[in-house]
Amino acid sequence: MIAIWTLAMKDLRILLRDKAGFFFAFFYPVLIAVFMGVIFSGGDSGSGSQINALPVYLVDQDSTSASQKFAETLAQSEDLQIAPAGLEQAQEDIRLGRKAAYILIKKGYGDARENMFASEAPVVEIGIDPSRRAEAGLLTGLLLKYGAQDMQRIFSDRSLMRRQVQTSMRSLQESAPEEYAGLYQFLSSLDSFLADTTSSAADSAFTGFEPLRVEEKKISRQRTGPPSSFAVTFPQGMMWGIIACVTGYAVSLVSERNKGTLLRLLAAPLNSYQVLGSKALACFITTILASIILMLIGVFVFGIHVASCFKLALGLIIVAGAFAGVMMLLSVLGKTENAASGIGWAVLLVLAMIGGGMLPLFFMPDWLKALSSISPIKWGILALEGAIWRDFTFRELLRPYLVLAAFGFLSFFIGARLFRWSHQT
Amino acid sequence: MITFENIRKSFGKTIAVDGISFEVRPHEIFGLLGPNGAGKTTIVNMAVGLLKPDSGTVALSGFGSPRDPKVRVKIGVAPQTLSLYDDLSAQENLECFGKVYGLRGAKLRERVAWSLDFVGLSERKNDRVSNLSGGMKRRLNLAVALVHNPEYLILDEPTAGVDPQSRIAIFDNIEQLKKDGCTIIYTTHYMEEAERLCDRVGIMDCGRLLAMDAVDALIRQHGGNSTVIIEKADGRQTIETRNPVEDILKLQKETELRGFRVLHPSLETVFLHFTGRTLRD
Repeated sequence: MIAIWTLAMKDLRILLRDKAGFFFAFFYPVLIAVFMGVIFSGGDSGSGSQINALPVYLVDQDSTSASQKFAETLAQSEDLQIAPAGLEQAQEDIRLGRKAAYILIKKGYGDARENMFASEAPVVEIGIDPSRRAEAGLLTGLLLKYGAQDMQRIFSDRSLMRRQVQTSMRSLQESAPEEYAGLYQFLSSLDSFLADTTSSAADSAFTGFEPLRVEEKKISRQRTGPPSSFAVTFPQGMMWGIIACVTGYAVSLVSERNKGTLLRLLAAPLNSYQVLGSKALACFITTILASIILMLIGVFVFGIHVASCFKLALGLIIVAGAFAGVMMLLSVLGKTENAASGIGWAVLLVLAMIGGGMLPLFFMPDWLKALSSISPIKWGILALEGAIWRDFTFRELLRPYLVLAAFGFLSFFIGARLFRWSHQT
Repeated sequence: MITFENIRKSFGKTIAVDGISFEVRPHEIFGLLGPNGAGKTTIVNMAVGLLKPDSGTVALSGFGSPRDPKVRVKIGVAPQTLSLYDDLSAQENLECFGKVYGLRGAKLRERVAWSLDFVGLSERKNDRVSNLSGGMKRRLNLAVALVHNPEYLILDEPTAGVDPQSRIAIFDNIEQLKKDGCTIIYTTHYMEEAERLCDRVGIMDCGRLLAMDAVDALIRQHGGNSTVIIEKADGRQTIETRNPVEDILKLQKETELRGFRVLHPSLETVFLHFTGRTLRD
């Protein structure tokens, strides 16, 4: 064991003195993670996506001509992407994060709209996740704007206006006698108001009215997606770091073979498993160190919240161990450093492409998601993301762990057999 | 003693070693000579336990097969290629390989210091290998083979590509090691090195051991005639003879000699006698 440790430390020392190797093991993953994080976050800090047209459900419980007219106004809005739905479906989809919000035109909207002077303002409810404060504010503002436009439409239409007055008068006549004083006062005010509408003051004529009352209902969204783009790209960056380490150590084993140091080690009182084990240990330690550095940067600089540090540590150990095995297999496939490097990058690049190293897994179409299962990169990312933001249970993590362990063991076994065979013949 | 007994080794259809038997005696320097592809490296690799013979045995007397890691502790090897870590210093290389051979603490420090001193690199111990000259690297390559104080030393062309000064230094080192009781297998293409250093040599070709004996005995048996070049008043005369002294004295009685030169057969003559003059790949 001391010999394995000695050789692993020798490899780490050589890595630290090799500027290019050091860069690819420790800095390249950070660059990848930050670069991809910025791209996926669209330039913001990843607090949420800013969308031009807010996708919302519209639930019309009133089903009057007034509510339908208001719904039409909303549907024509460029600021909103309206989809009709029932209330239950709307609430469920917001909880699951499929839609940003819903607008509920409550029962009584039409009556309130037609009895504008003698009843309370029509009520519209928005249902939204409390964390979407910006969207809630935007939606409230939009509803007030379209409510005001609706009111303006009534005031600018004589027949509608007459109907409003008549409805109001009927309503007042049915009310208690003491409220008649209010009627005259209101009609007097209306008279003054109508007299003033020839001027530009008409634009602000409704200042005293509340065109719409917007009530907000908080619906906490079940977190199914990443809290920020960096929570996605840092596990990807860790995998890129691991790929760089795996390729680097695969090449270093070929280099030892070609330079003769491997012959010297194999002529020493070591067996080939000890020699290979030392290389795998060095690869394992390097990938762990590089990943820890990357994760610390992610947590302290980019505000990534790790759901479970224990699961992350466990996942990291399993991922690093599995890829140390992959390194063994790659190291015996090339006879020269260039060939080993070329084979390593070619194989791992394809596995990264289909395994979510470039395009996050949840962006993938279904066929690519199915194909990605052949890539250990996918299982590595799942093992890391499961601990960082997916909040997987151990039961859910067991599958990636087992698949990675199988990949690692099989690769190491085949690699070691090929290595022994190539040095026996 | 290292014993090779009827060993055979093939790589696919190529027979690298074809039923060779010989032994390397204690405290001797045994030279293994042969053109490229003769099977020398295969023999060396079997001697250090890297390769297993298809048939036959390789054994270190009293210890067993070098395939056993415990037996390999007794062997030091300086491969033909400079088997060193370029990014480590001379001392770090020695420490690394010393630890691999089980040295620790004070013993390790002592052996590293001795090895550096033995090959004259103490003052450059902290320099990275990449900054050493070719000759220094060769000497360090030898030092790494010695760091664990082996009883058997296998040197595969230890002077390839070095300047005369480093070559002389390496010769001195090897002669000192022999005096200290080390048993050495020495492969080389340089016949004058084998003549100077080796007690016995074996000449190999095509996987077979064609001749094996002390250098002088081989020359005597297979070197052929000496060449005597005589300068006379009427010109130069060349004579091939088994007994140049006798022939020169005889000629001196018959005619006036202005001068003469004797070219004795060398190990190279013997080597070419066995392996021919055909170019090898």
